[in-house]
Amino acid sequence: MSAPEDALGRARAAAAQMRASGAYAEARATRPGPPPPEAAELKLYQWALIEPDIAHVRSLRRFGAPVTALKRLLLRLLVQYHVQLISEQTRFNVMLLGYVRRLESRIEELEAQASSEPDLGP
Amino acid sequence: MIRVHQLLSGAGPHDAITTEALVFRGLFSAWGWGGEDYAYRIAPGLEAGITDALRLRPEPGDVLLLHHSAGWPRLDELMALPNPKLLLYHNVTPPHWLWEHAPMVAAHCAAGREQLHELVGAVQLAAADSAFNAGELAELGATRTAVIPLLIELDRLGPAAPRAPEVTGAPTVLFVGRLSPHKRQDELIRTFALYRRYRAPDARLVLVGDPISDSYGALLARLARSLAPGAVRIETGLSPNELGDRFRAADAFVCLSEHEGFCIPLLEAFHFGLPVIARPAGAIPEVVGDAGLLVADADPAVVAELLHLVLGDAELRSELRRRGRARLSDFQPDVIAGRLRAAVEAALSAP
Repeated sequence: MSAPEDALGRARAAAAQMRASGAYAEARATRPGPPPPEAAELKLYQWALIEPDIAHVRSLRRFGAPVTALKRLLLRLLVQYHVQLISEQTRFNVMLLGYVRRLESRIEELEAQASSEPDLGP
Repeated sequence: MIRVHQLLSGAGPHDAITTEALVFRGLFSAWGWGGEDYAYRIAPGLEAGITDALRLRPEPGDVLLLHHSAGWPRLDELMALPNPKLLLYHNVTPPHWLWEHAPMVAAHCAAGREQLHELVGAVQLAAADSAFNAGELAELGATRTAVIPLLIELDRLGPAAPRAPEVTGAPTVLFVGRLSPHKRQDELIRTFALYRRYRAPDARLVLVGDPISDSYGALLARLARSLAPGAVRIETGLSPNELGDRFRAADAFVCLSEHEGFCIPLLEAFHFGLPVIARPAGAIPEVVGDAGLLVADADPAVVAELLHLVLGDAELRSELRRRGRARLSDFQPDVIAGRLRAAVEAALSAP
């Protein structure tokens, strides 16, 4: 009988045999786990510059087309206000990211300094 | 009369926790209990009787059942209420999976994980829908925990059709779950492409689930087009009947998710007699038990060969089907309802 408990071993053996015959050459063990934090940090800089997409302003209800049109009309009428709002928020985001970057650099400096100093003991 | 108010941070028409809250409400009514259901964010299209949480005005002695799966917008106000509180923790996706593709969702998840500390300290009883989730509560200091598995209604998907011993025609592989980085549909597409290339050129993959963001959905679609053109179908917004049809039409269910607090589709796959291949991540091992094939190997060739084995071995599939049916008996609604009732009563009687 084909027991489920034996299946993984059989699959591993089959994969090894297939690889020996030249198959699965392009199959790479992929990195488990979430994306590295660096990717998210890079994204932070992209997100700091706010660029709302008017295409996302829509109604999801049935027969929502007139509601969508009304929402977009309101956005056009309020464009001056939103430009000001976006500018102020973007300025804050960019300044804050710059501040975080300076703090990171300072921490790295202090850590490097601390690790190079001789341990004087108690 | 006991009155239980259920609170959700968000509610939606395709949301498993919203569905469970509505099933709970049916049970409470059957037991002669009162109360209402509230959410802070209610998605359009939800026709069920969920009220805006800002209208919550509990009477003294009413129990608050907090379904925790994301950040709460006004947790301080909620915690300040003197009512007995029962936490039901459904797990919160670690935000580092989500920052890159869905920053708003990630922010909600980050808040939800932070708030869990406060919740654990403030509730009379901390319950979770899996032992894995209960373990996270215990790590945060919860001294009394209970496990109340997710209460699912498999009947809503329709009956399971009889299955032929052999897979005839083009094999169809299925996964159901939100299109999200931690569910690893990307890895499934890569693995499926290998299986298709070396074992079954006519195989198909069906991915059912709403994308966590438009951009992530588009990314998966691009990956599918490049690796297995024309062989991968991504479907969103299916009705329960349509979802049942996808299970009936599939030959195997493969879940390469790396974080799951429960994973209902595994039980749905058992219901439809599908063999299950899954990563042993989070709560998956305790849900699957011995009824599925768990594979931790990082080598996608091993997963592809396991899929080939399970689709080609009628005896193996038959045994897995038998075990799957047996596994479902551990998640019988009446057993879970009994645990729910005991948890509410324990929260009421706690000092």
